[in-house]
Amino acid sequence: MARFHDLTVTDVHKTIRDAVVVTLQPVNGAAEEFDFTQGQYLTFRRDFDGEELRRSYSICAGKDEGILQVGIKRVDGGAFSTWANEELKVGDTIQAMPPMGGFFTALDADASKHYLGFAGGSGVTPVLSILKTTLAREPKARFTLVYANKGVNTIMFREELEDLKNLYMGRLNVIHILESDAQDIDLFTGLVTQDKCAELFKHWIDIKTVDTAFICGPEPMMLGIAAALRDHGLDDAQIKFELFASAQPGRAKRKTVSGDAASSANQTKAAITMDGSTQTITLPKDMSILDGALENAMDAPYACKAGVCSTCRCKVLEGEVEMVANHALEDYEVEKGYVLSCQAFPLTDTVTVDFDQ
Amino acid sequence: MAEDMTIESYLAAGGVLTNPTNVPPRYRAELMKLMATFVDSELAGAAGFADVINAGPGIKERIAAAKIVLEKTDNADRVLRIMGDFGADADRYANNHPWTTRLERDADIGTSRTDHDMRLAVFNYPLDGWVDAVAMNLLMGRAVVIQLTEFSMISYQPLAEAFRTITPIETRHAELAAEGVIKLIEEGETAALQAAVNYWWPRVAASFGSSSSTKAESLKEMGLRKSTNAELKTRWEAEATTLLESFGLDVPS
Repeated sequence: MARFHDLTVTDVHKTIRDAVVVTLQPVNGAAEEFDFTQGQYLTFRRDFDGEELRRSYSICAGKDEGILQVGIKRVDGGAFSTWANEELKVGDTIQAMPPMGGFFTALDADASKHYLGFAGGSGVTPVLSILKTTLAREPKARFTLVYANKGVNTIMFREELEDLKNLYMGRLNVIHILESDAQDIDLFTGLVTQDKCAELFKHWIDIKTVDTAFICGPEPMMLGIAAALRDHGLDDAQIKFELFASAQPGRAKRKTVSGDAASSANQTKAAITMDGSTQTITLPKDMSILDGALENAMDAPYACKAGVCSTCRCKVLEGEVEMVANHALEDYEVEKGYVLSCQAFPLTDTVTVDFDQ
Repeated sequence: MAEDMTIESYLAAGGVLTNPTNVPPRYRAELMKLMATFVDSELAGAAGFADVINAGPGIKERIAAAKIVLEKTDNADRVLRIMGDFGADADRYANNHPWTTRLERDADIGTSRTDHDMRLAVFNYPLDGWVDAVAMNLLMGRAVVIQLTEFSMISYQPLAEAFRTITPIETRHAELAAEGVIKLIEEGETAALQAAVNYWWPRVAASFGSSSSTKAESLKEMGLRKSTNAELKTRWEAEATTLLESFGLDVPS
C-alpha cells in the first residue's frame, strides 16, 4: 500500500490571484518514488483541528523539467486549498503519497500524433504536464489545447503557455474560451459545450487528425466534450478523462456513543442504512455486522470476508463495534468511523451503521 | 458554468470516474464487488486449469494450457492492482483463498457463490480431464468475452482500460479452446466432447446471474452496466450455439 512521505517546499508562487504553484523536494531518499508520469497527481494530507484531510492535486510540471510541482487553486470554504494559498511557505514540510493516476498515454519519440487537450480552470494542471512532456519527447507531435476560463484574469499559467507556443512554434495551438470576457471571435466566448465543440471542429480543429483527446474539467463540461468527440468518430479508448469532483468529501463528525452503552445480554439492535433505506435488525454480539445484514436479506456488499479487500466498508454513526482484523482501512478512515463490516462485531446494545457514506 | 452537478447525475449522463477520491460509497461497493468477482474467477479458473496442464495429450496442448494459466493469473493481477488503489491489501488478497478448492462434480448450487470468495458459481465445479477442460474453456471462454466486452465500457476509467487490455487476451483463450475442439474431433473424441458440453452448458449459462436481479437499474445509472443479465445470456446462447453447430456438436436443450 502507498505510504506518505515528507516533502520540502522549495518554491511557492502565485499564477493568478487565487492559485499557487508549489514546488516540492522529496526528502529522506524518497526521490525515486516521486518519479512521476506526466498527468499524474499527488495526494496530500494535513491535520486541521485534529482531523486529517486528504486532497489530491495534479502535477503541472513536465517530465523534463526536473522538478516536482503542483498547482493548487483556492476553493471557497476549502480548508486545504485556502491553507496552501495563504499560509504555505518555502521551507515547510508537507506530506504526500507517491504519484498516482492513469491520465496519460505512452510516448513514442518516432510518432507524429495530433493530441487534443481540453481543460477547464484548474483542470489545466495535468494537461499542462502532458503537453510539455509530449512536445519535448515526441518531436513530431502536435498539441491543440482548448482552455476554458471565466475571464482573462483567472487563466492559470497564461504566460507559461505563451512561452511554450513560442518554444514549440507551429506545434502548439492554444484556444482560449472565456465565459464572461468578450473576444474578437464570438465562438471563443461562452461555455465549452457539445455544440461549441462541434463548431470548433468545423473550422478550428481538424478533428479527423486527432489521435488522442485529454479532458480535465468540471463534470458537465467533460460530458459535453466527450459527447462531441464521440459524435466525431473518436472511440472510448481515444478519450482520456481526469475528474476531480468539485465536491471533495467534507469534514466528518465524530461518531457519538449513546449514554446507555453496553448493558444487557448478548443482543444488539443494529440500524443499517443501505441504498437510502434503513432497516433495524437484532443480532447476537458474536455475529459480524455484515453477516447480520446478510441474514436479514439485506444486499450488503462484500467480497473477501477476511478484512483484506475493503468492499464491505461502512460507517459507524452511533454505538461501538470492535474490528477484529483490518488489513485494508487506514488509520484516518478508522478515526472517521469507518469499519470493515465483515470484521466488525457490536459492543454496545444499539449501533447505527451506514453503507451509503 | 453549472459546476454543482452531482456525481450521481454525472454518472447517469454517461460520465466517467478516474480515481478513488471521488467515487461515491455505493458505487465503490459495487465496483469492488465487480472487481472481486473478476479477480476471484480468474484466480480460481487459473488454479483449476493448472492441474489440467499435464493432462494435455501433446506438447502444443500443454503449452496452450500453461499459457492460459499464466495469462489468467496476470489478468487477475491487473484488476487486483486497481482494487489496491481503493485500499485492498493485494498481496494478502491473492493468498487469502484456496483457489484450487472445488465442490463435488454433481453439486447443485445454481447461481450462488460459496461463502468465502466471489468466484462465479461455475468455477466451483471440478474439471474432469482434458476433454472436459477444453469443453469448459470453449463455453466459458465465449461467456468471458461477452462479459468483458460489456465491462470494457464501464464508467470507472482505470478498470475499463484494464478490461480493454484483457479482452483480446481472453478472446485468444477462447480461440485456443476452439482449436482444441477441432483436434479432439479429428481424434474421434466427439462423444466425450458432447458429454462434457452437456455438463457445462447449464453451468456456464448460470454464470450470467439471476435474470430477476433487482440491481440492474441502479447499476445502469452508475454506469457499471449497460445490458441486463438476461440480455448477456441470450447473446452467449446465440454465439455458443453457432460455435457448437460449426463443430457438428448438439446444443443441449
